[in-house]
Amino acid sequence: MSNLLIVDDEPNVLNALRRLCQNSAILPALPDPSVTTFTSPLAALKHVADHKVDLVISDYRMPDMDGAVFLTRVKELRPDAARIILSACTDMDGIIRAINHAGIFRFVSKPWSDHDLKASIIDVLAHRNLLLENRRLADEVRSQRGVISRQQLELERLEMESPGITQVRWSEDGGVLLQD
Amino acid sequence: MADATGGITDLAWISALYALGHKAANGANPRQVQQEILEHIVRGFDAESGSIALIVQGTDDQLEIAAGTDLPRGTIGNQLPRGIGVFGHVVATGQPILVNGDAAETGLPVRTNEARNRSTHSAMCWPLRVQERTIGALAVNRAADRPRYTVTDLDQGQALTSLLALVISNHQMHVERDNRIVELQTLNATMQRMNASLEDAQNQVIQAEKLASIGQISAGVAHEINNPVAFVLSNLGSLESYAAQICELLSAYVDAERALSPLPPAFLRARTLRESKDFDFLRGDIVALLAESRDGLMRVKRIVQDLRDFSRGGADETWQMVDLHAALDSTLNIVRNEIKYKASIVKSYGELPEIECLPSRLNQVFLNLLVNAGHAIDAHGTITVSTGISGTEAWIRFSDTGCGIPSDHLNRIFEPFFTTKPVGQGTGLGLSVSYAIVRKHGGRIEVDSELGRGTRFTVLLPVRQSPDVAIEVVKAHAAAT
Repeated sequence: MSNLLIVDDEPNVLNALRRLCQNSAILPALPDPSVTTFTSPLAALKHVADHKVDLVISDYRMPDMDGAVFLTRVKELRPDAARIILSACTDMDGIIRAINHAGIFRFVSKPWSDHDLKASIIDVLAHRNLLLENRRLADEVRSQRGVISRQQLELERLEMESPGITQVRWSEDGGVLLQD
Repeated sequence: MADATGGITDLAWISALYALGHKAANGANPRQVQQEILEHIVRGFDAESGSIALIVQGTDDQLEIAAGTDLPRGTIGNQLPRGIGVFGHVVATGQPILVNGDAAETGLPVRTNEARNRSTHSAMCWPLRVQERTIGALAVNRAADRPRYTVTDLDQGQALTSLLALVISNHQMHVERDNRIVELQTLNATMQRMNASLEDAQNQVIQAEKLASIGQISAGVAHEINNPVAFVLSNLGSLESYAAQICELLSAYVDAERALSPLPPAFLRARTLRESKDFDFLRGDIVALLAESRDGLMRVKRIVQDLRDFSRGGADETWQMVDLHAALDSTLNIVRNEIKYKASIVKSYGELPEIECLPSRLNQVFLNLLVNAGHAIDAHGTITVSTGISGTEAWIRFSDTGCGIPSDHLNRIFEPFFTTKPVGQGTGLGLSVSYAIVRKHGGRIEVDSELGRGTRFTVLLPVRQSPDVAIEVVKAHAAAT
């Protein structure tokens, strides 16, 4: 299961992308995709804060904030989520910021080729999985050598499964705030 | 004319003087008229010689000899030293004088030649005054063997000189007016020229402004168009796959129907429906429909891409290594619409290495030459685009089978604003801008035209901006091909 988050201020683009991602007849097929879409980058950020996200695809030119700023925030919130910009805009400044600040994995131009875009998504997800697997193995080795405790490892795993679960939010009167 | 005592009584003489004045007013040669007037006066005063000196216009007291009798050759037009001599004195004081005998004895600041040569004469000199202004002086002389002039002669002459002054002044004014008119005409012509060049400059600015805004607009438009194109294109892909799946499903039903015998009533209805809707046609056409729509969208996508490449001029003018064939293709895409009904385009590309150039500017050159070629063709013709390399230069040739360029236009076609197209069709800038761009690349444009047969424009560009590198590149290219 891969969690895709797509942000574009044009709903038609979101619909097209959702169809494309979920249609396994258009090759290559994505592995069990779950697609969430937003027209507002602010709403998308709220979602990212407390949901599991594997890949974020964002338009560049949007109201409120541009794609580079949005993905930079996403990176702060979810460093492990892969990031792609999908845009008709090709201004050099924007692309440079997207690469240097937001650390995007791919820049895909609109109009996209269905096949190429899906291939890019699969590549990026595979790359991300490789990174995560790498880190997991390294952690395991460290744990076996006693550098980090099993408990810490378990905490990291839990946090990845359910973002926010390892942080308890307290209200002013000392009660525990549950997620809505 | 003059009586025995030298007095002036003859009315005919006065009317003749008037006639001379009129002649002057009618624009005859001023020197000649002044000379005639002087001769008339000399006769009238029964003198042997005389002269007129006039104040040079625009100065206070600079005298110039305007007319004279018995004067040495070349004296007319000479300027007299200021303030001295009989003329100088008369003009300075505004009073007439009578000189009998040696001029030096009058106590005037006489010039030496006056004193030497005319020491024995009798002379009268009057200032020429119009209202309160002195415009010059008139002198008449009698030789030593003649009766001397008297004070009466001087007084009688005084009345005449005011008349004479008026005639001369009139004439001067007339000449001045003519000069003014000529001056005004020259000024007018200069202003018209300046106006025209201002207009040219303004047009150029407007044109540049227009090109810049077209660039900005098309970049913005490209973005706006690309968004809808993106989702329509992607949706077409989804639709294609859905349609394929639906058709697959329906085929399964058809197979099932064939396998069933006898056909249950529900299947019977489905078969009637399928046959009445011509399902086989629909299934075939849906594929063509989607393919054609996709083809159209791909064309939109390419045009937008070309427009963006093209407009990306000015802003990021950087020298790049460019495959000129790709640049030509992208420009051909833009103009294809404009010329497809008039000309078929033949591409005959040779082998070209990558060229160091400003691609967007070169696109502009190609566009101009292609549009011109299209305009040159009346009914239907051919435009051939060929390329090749000669020496260290790449050449791109645009040959049309159009009307050709008259030989007297050939040397003007690169002039800014030279156009033979109707107003609104051409600015006359295309070729001059192209020329400037090619020059900037260190290249040149050659034209070869035959009336009624067609025109060949050849753009020659160095493959590299540095000649040494160009030689290397050409060698390497020759070895590779």
